[in-house]
Amino acid sequence: MRLIVYFILFVLGLLVGLLAPIVWWLDREAGQRFTERQWTQASRVYARPLELYAGLGLGAEDLGVELESAGLQSGNPAQVGYFARNGQRFDIHLPGFAFPEETQPARRILVEISNRQVLSVSQANGSPAGLQRLPPAELGTLMPLDDRDRTLVSLADFPPLLVTGIQAVEDRQFNHHHGIDPRGLIRAAWANMRRGEVVQGGSTITQQLVKNLYLTPDRSLVRKFNEAVMAISLERRFSKADILEAYLNEVYLGQDGATAIHGFGRASEYYFGVPVQGLAPEQIALLIGMVRGASWYHPVRNPTRAGERRERVLSMFLETGLIDRATFEQANRRDLQVRSRQQRRSRNHGEFMDLVSRQLRQDYRDRDLRGTGLRIFTTLDPAAQRHAEQALANGLAKVERNAGELQGAIVLVEPASGEIRALVGDRNPGRFGFNRALDARRSVGSVIKPFVYLLALAQPERFHLMSPLYDGPLSIPIAGREPWQPRNYDGESHGDVPLIEALAMSYNQATVSLGLEVGLPGLFRLLRQLGVEPGSDPHPSAYLGAISLTPMQVAQLYQALAAEGYSTPLRAINQVVDARGQAIGRYPMRMRPVRDHEALALLDFGLRYAVTNGTARSLSWRMRNDPGVRGKTGTTNDRRDAWFVGYTRDWLGVVWTGRDDHAPAGVSGAGSALPVWAELFDALPVREYSRSWPEAIEWFWVDWPSPLLAGEECPEARAMPFTAGSQPSTTSPCMNNSETPRRARGRRQ
Amino acid sequence: MIRTPVMCIRRLALPVFVAVVVALALGACGYQPPMPSEDGGTVERVRAPAPDQPPAGLQVFPLRNAAVTELTEAAHQAERDGDLDRAAMLLERALRIESRDPEVLQHMAEIKLGQADWSQAESYASRSFDVGPRVGELCQRNWRTMALARERQARHDDAHQARERLQACRVEPPPRF
Repeated sequence: MRLIVYFILFVLGLLVGLLAPIVWWLDREAGQRFTERQWTQASRVYARPLELYAGLGLGAEDLGVELESAGLQSGNPAQVGYFARNGQRFDIHLPGFAFPEETQPARRILVEISNRQVLSVSQANGSPAGLQRLPPAELGTLMPLDDRDRTLVSLADFPPLLVTGIQAVEDRQFNHHHGIDPRGLIRAAWANMRRGEVVQGGSTITQQLVKNLYLTPDRSLVRKFNEAVMAISLERRFSKADILEAYLNEVYLGQDGATAIHGFGRASEYYFGVPVQGLAPEQIALLIGMVRGASWYHPVRNPTRAGERRERVLSMFLETGLIDRATFEQANRRDLQVRSRQQRRSRNHGEFMDLVSRQLRQDYRDRDLRGTGLRIFTTLDPAAQRHAEQALANGLAKVERNAGELQGAIVLVEPASGEIRALVGDRNPGRFGFNRALDARRSVGSVIKPFVYLLALAQPERFHLMSPLYDGPLSIPIAGREPWQPRNYDGESHGDVPLIEALAMSYNQATVSLGLEVGLPGLFRLLRQLGVEPGSDPHPSAYLGAISLTPMQVAQLYQALAAEGYSTPLRAINQVVDARGQAIGRYPMRMRPVRDHEALALLDFGLRYAVTNGTARSLSWRMRNDPGVRGKTGTTNDRRDAWFVGYTRDWLGVVWTGRDDHAPAGVSGAGSALPVWAELFDALPVREYSRSWPEAIEWFWVDWPSPLLAGEECPEARAMPFTAGSQPSTTSPCMNNSETPRRARGRRQ
Repeated sequence: MIRTPVMCIRRLALPVFVAVVVALALGACGYQPPMPSEDGGTVERVRAPAPDQPPAGLQVFPLRNAAVTELTEAAHQAERDGDLDRAAMLLERALRIESRDPEVLQHMAEIKLGQADWSQAESYASRSFDVGPRVGELCQRNWRTMALARERQARHDDAHQARERLQACRVEPPPRF
């Protein structure tokens, strides 16, 4: 007998001796890990928020695109996150959004549009609403390394029905137990025994949290033991509110490709496109129902099962008094309302996200970017991006010889700020691989010529827009190689032509003869000053664009020109805010006046002339309205690359097209790239160009095409700008001797 | 040979400026400077006309976009609260709406002065001058800002030129009949 007692004591001692350290360790681990836990949150990248105000140029379709990009849905605007469109009138219930400098609460506004312009923005009661900002579209995420997507929400910000409802369904004793609920366990065991299968889990919310946070999903006794010990430990150390908040943010609610959706904050955005505060009772019930098995009750893959589960959850809400019968009936009748797959998957902004990542990596380490819940505010304009994608796809289909032969890229910039509004690197917007907008280095052709002319015009004592240039056969000796003999596109020479004509008609021979006057080192220096590295090939064919640049670099070259002489680096990011809302990186607008303001203004006049009278004149019939476009075409040898660069008051657009294999593609600047550009700019809200001319620019009548001063009454008289003092001194014979040449009144274009 | 004065009356016909207000020496319609900010000393030197030089000559007041006005008013408030970063952000928003508003550009230049960002102060003031009326009070603020910013960058000759150019902003209004 004594032996048996000793044996029992020995076994007990052994158990206590072994278990006590394990329990002690589990207890310590649970407490420590919960205290030190850091939720990984995806860093989110946002488009620029749309500023809505009366007078804004914006079509109704574009507003629709903006609203949907911002996550709003067509529906009953009584509910946050929904809008109703009636023709040109929109009733919008904007969700709240934490902008970096202020939090904007949810609000309801009415917007009326007419003729591609916002007529009024008013409050629900009809009074003017002033300036309103739409929440920005979410373009994508920089996922944490564990691929868990989460939007952290504090307990106070969850809707009360969700907080009480989850307890009613998952753990009714939550407020009373100490981590485990023996009664619940027995009840579940009894129910399971009666049904002969597992129909109820007896785990408390705390146990489920422990399982999600620390343990593997296997169903073993050892795991159950660990779970119970750790649950009790958490309850001993932390408040119910802490535990519930952690649970609501941690619980697994489905899969988006390789990314796991954790927590109700993200699930609400993912399945319904609204912030968690905007969830309706039936939506809350659906999500709570998914806790039991996110895949089994998935509302898209298994809608019937999900619907039944939702009804079960709603009836639990009803029987516990969380909702009344009317709400139950109403909620139960509603469809599942889950967003379509296309809506749920964030729209593919691969090329732009690529650019954002590259710009971020200049300033941040990868591990500081991922999983830290940063919010990155960028410059992308979702409606303009949509137009750019469509213009490239449609435009190429119209101009190519064989279907699918051509590729292309578009860079669209707001010139004054240097902010990139759209970026397309593939004609198929869904496909993202090689980012042609950033990485396709292609021969630029005549797109470079304006910079040769700029160098010349910056020497007003030598050149002006009427300077005669010789467009004739040239033979330039090249050390160790055959002499170089540039030819014109049409194979003809045009003799003496005014400088502005040579620029507008893109004459090669005249440009090379001008280039020889200003020198290659000067050209390369200028390109570097404008922020682009052109390489170091000293061959004079560079005057005709035999250097390779990316569409982005070409946009950078033209930015200062389009911004009337103020250069700024092109950028995709405005601000980076950390998870607590503190700005950790600002990328403010910075501008630097470039020298030779006058030369830039003269060149601007020349590029307007290229559109009205030169190689880009087809723009006049390709666009519905010409708002005063300045532009330059570019075509490279054997028609391999086609470019068009054009700008208006508000936009600078670069279009490149060609074949990926560099083979002759039968393209031309005016015939292939310009139509794409015109289609894009026709769809954009553009305003009439009106520029200011530098003080030192003066206007004179000249006797076209001779570099002679004239009077307005001379038959060929044209008004031409000159840097003060650089105008010709000889008078045209078309004037009587007694007449004095007259200064032309200033013109604006 | 044709010689013309640098200042041209044609500027007055610029279609950007819908309202041209001629203020006489009393300058009843002059710009109302906001309350000085914490570091407002520098800014105030730019904004306020010298005590013995009330706003004089031709004044030009462009018509404003209401959204831009809302943002600039908020920027003035932020400035009064001493929050220049916020003021700059609000003005950036205004410039995204209207990148060529000379008043907003000059306001930004003055915020940059307050932030001791001299090169940007000069750039914004220069841009404001380029797209602005080039006469009157705004013109004077443009050149005062440029003079001050250049001085702070120890470019004394350039600063001197800016002060000389400032004098040309004082164009007398055309006589009334």
